[in-house]
Amino acid sequence: MVYNNLLLLIFIPLAAGIINIILPRVIAKLSAVVSLCINFYLIYLVYLGDNAPFAFFDTLILSFSQMGFFSLIFIQLLSFIILFFSLKGVESSIEKMFFILYPLTVAFCNGVVLSNHVFSFLIFWGLSGLTLYLFGLLGKTKEAPKTAKKTFIIIGGSDALLIMGFVIIWLLKGTTSWSIFELKTALDNPASIIALTFLLIAAFAKAGGFPFHTWVPDFALDAPIESAAFLPASLDKLLGIYLLTLMVTILFEIGLLVNMIIISLGTLTVITAVMMAMNQHNGKKLLGYHAVSQVGYMIMGIGSGSALAFAGGLFHLVNHTIYKSDLFLTLGSVEKQTKTAELDNLGGLGKKMPITFVMALIGALSISGIPPFNGFFSKWMIYQGLIEKAALLQPVYQLWLLVCIILAVFGSALTLASFMKFLHAIYLGRRPKIYDDVKEAPINQWLATSALSLLCIGFGIFALRFPLSKIIFPAIESNGIIVPEFLGLYIPQLIVMLFLIGFIVGMGIYLFTKKVRYDEVYLGGSEPLEKFRVAGTEFYNEIRNMKPLKTIYDMAEKKYFDIYEMGSKSTFALSRVLQKGHPGQLQLYILYIIIGLLVFIALI
Amino acid sequence: MKPEFVFYLLVFPGLLFTSVLGLLIGWVDRKVTARFTYRVGPPLFQNFNDFFKLLGKETIIVKEGVHSLFIVAPFIAFGVMVLISAIIGTALFYQYDLGADIIVVMYLLMIYSVMIILGGASTGNVYSSVGAGREIKLLLADELAFILICLVPIIKSGYQIKLDSILMAQVTNGAFIGSFSGLIAFIIGILCIQAKMALTPFSIPEAETELVEGPLMEYSGPPLAFWKLNQLMMYVAFPFLLILLFWGGFELIGIGILWAVLKYLSIVVLMIIIKNTNPRIRIDTALHFFWKIATPLAFIAIILAVFGY
Repeated sequence: MVYNNLLLLIFIPLAAGIINIILPRVIAKLSAVVSLCINFYLIYLVYLGDNAPFAFFDTLILSFSQMGFFSLIFIQLLSFIILFFSLKGVESSIEKMFFILYPLTVAFCNGVVLSNHVFSFLIFWGLSGLTLYLFGLLGKTKEAPKTAKKTFIIIGGSDALLIMGFVIIWLLKGTTSWSIFELKTALDNPASIIALTFLLIAAFAKAGGFPFHTWVPDFALDAPIESAAFLPASLDKLLGIYLLTLMVTILFEIGLLVNMIIISLGTLTVITAVMMAMNQHNGKKLLGYHAVSQVGYMIMGIGSGSALAFAGGLFHLVNHTIYKSDLFLTLGSVEKQTKTAELDNLGGLGKKMPITFVMALIGALSISGIPPFNGFFSKWMIYQGLIEKAALLQPVYQLWLLVCIILAVFGSALTLASFMKFLHAIYLGRRPKIYDDVKEAPINQWLATSALSLLCIGFGIFALRFPLSKIIFPAIESNGIIVPEFLGLYIPQLIVMLFLIGFIVGMGIYLFTKKVRYDEVYLGGSEPLEKFRVAGTEFYNEIRNMKPLKTIYDMAEKKYFDIYEMGSKSTFALSRVLQKGHPGQLQLYILYIIIGLLVFIALI
Repeated sequence: MKPEFVFYLLVFPGLLFTSVLGLLIGWVDRKVTARFTYRVGPPLFQNFNDFFKLLGKETIIVKEGVHSLFIVAPFIAFGVMVLISAIIGTALFYQYDLGADIIVVMYLLMIYSVMIILGGASTGNVYSSVGAGREIKLLLADELAFILICLVPIIKSGYQIKLDSILMAQVTNGAFIGSFSGLIAFIIGILCIQAKMALTPFSIPEAETELVEGPLMEYSGPPLAFWKLNQLMMYVAFPFLLILLFWGGFELIGIGILWAVLKYLSIVVLMIIIKNTNPRIRIDTALHFFWKIATPLAFIAIILAVFGY
């Protein structure tokens, strides 16, 4: 075999995964870490320019592209940090399988973003869905096998559509080449619109866009929490959005109406998922719904057709993978210490797990888009792009887009609300007696979450200096899109400096004048009884019970909006109808055959 | 960072100016409120006395709570308030953007609520937790209408989001309050800031009579002094923001100074009158009011703005 960096990027984790089948656990962990370290070195070589494409019998299979490289970097980075978290604390009964699947998943995801050939793209895409299913099966809850099946059906079904979509594009194009980068199609006939829809469904299902998102919250609830941070929160987002990016830049020429439809779908994703998240009582499910809602911003940015929003969408993708895995992992630490993720039962852990609390706080502020954290910068770019686009449109389109912008901005207020509840329920308020002996998470866990939190802060404050100018802008410019000047003004370094001056003046006055006394909580003389504890989960009952939201929430809880549940219900209903025609009478079957024959003859 | 930025931040129009003016306006508030209830009211410098008195008192910290967060929260909120007033003030007085546009300001404003919630809930006090829950619901209630009214000046200035561009658009074309959309948005804006400052009828989180100041219940000494100062600084920052977005800013030459004072005082006095003539409403009523009445009205303002009215 010829030495090829791109091939090695896939081959090394693949090999690590396969030999982990026979290796003992400790060495399996080591081999996973080593394989990712080697991948970092290979990425460095690729960055330096050693990025020759890989061909097999003169057919180009793997090639380097700036977009793929961008995804590649973050796949390795996130995989490494989450792997570090998982080194200690994965349940021992599933540990073996976990460390087999983990490097395999990395290999398949690398395969997707490096593929040049449609076939290899589809194969790796399908394999990554398969490992997702296997991770789902590792869950310990009663519902886990059902959830894994649901995930597999949604992802697998969308895979079939993806294949059909590519075949339609290829037929329309009428070339012999199967290179992804040579299939650009205009949206001028029904077939190409169908192909676009199929690909859109595949991207949405993978990334978790409305209405194909329903597997994400269930997966977050039932699968092991490390895999929830690993796949739906980071790697599947990277893949799904990578496909969406390919669609809008390389595969299709998209017009205004399609842009508007994609933006609207993004807005719907944001608002429906966040409204559902607000009323969850389980921390993992709450995070699962947020993993969906944030995709909405990426879809809005990337599908908008504005260069600024496109860059913002990609940046939001990066930021989301960072803060969402941070949040999942901090919750994982809490769950491992307390054995539960039910928000009603937790509380007051901020004092017992201070580092985890601070990391969760940073993640929560980032996802809510509070300056100066990273989530704000990307949202700010997306809003600007959309506002800039609105300025050029007809009044009716303007209003349409403005409604989307309003709902998106409001979505981040709802996100903030949801996370205030999340933080309150886990870390603040009064602590139930049973958690008096809870300890801080082990060092590998809080080091991993600290690394992610540092990235949240660093990417927020130095957004222009590093991630945007070094990785994201080159990726966009390779598609021939020039990123314009910002419409607004936001200098995070200056804002942080000025804030710090004000904060230090205030703190200085406090430290100068302080006289401190410690005392019990003041309740006007009453006993602090357990039954008066406020968990925080009931914060939004007023919103839950408001007309007409109550009806919608009730319907959503009965899974009326779950495309999988509806699909399976209608399938069963259809089969019941068909069953009635199968009473087991031979005469009736003969009649069917004759009718069928007559129809066949008539058709000919 | 240029050295004059520190002046903007610490002296004018930031920390010193905003806090002194805020403490003075606090006196206006207390005086007018007193006159409404046939009382005499406090002397002019009462708020200053209160502030410095509190600085000398001891800080009582709840043993079981998260101490560091409890202490840091009011000062982070203070830092943010100073920053916001400096940003709005420099745009108003110097037509200069201090590193932030309108979207940044909108998001910065949320930090204040976050800190109230985190600081209050860090103690584990049940009243504080209930108050924190109400605070965030109130934020949700007014935020939707607030986003809409902030979009009106953006649309009317030809999709500009820099604060000085919005101001310049008004200098050349006349203040936005003179148009239908601007007027509607301005009126709803006053109600929004009433809710953002948690003044009656939206004093729901702090509800003295039932929640005993809610999130602030466990606070004492210097941290409480800073919470009170933060609230008074909002009396400056929010009216200034409305003047910046809708009322064409200030023209500080000759008779313009008088106009500036009148503009500012009219907004503040209107807020104080609303505060004193209304009972406190329940949180679900507030949600109902903002989501089902104020938001559709604000959306009408947006439609009018898009069509140029």
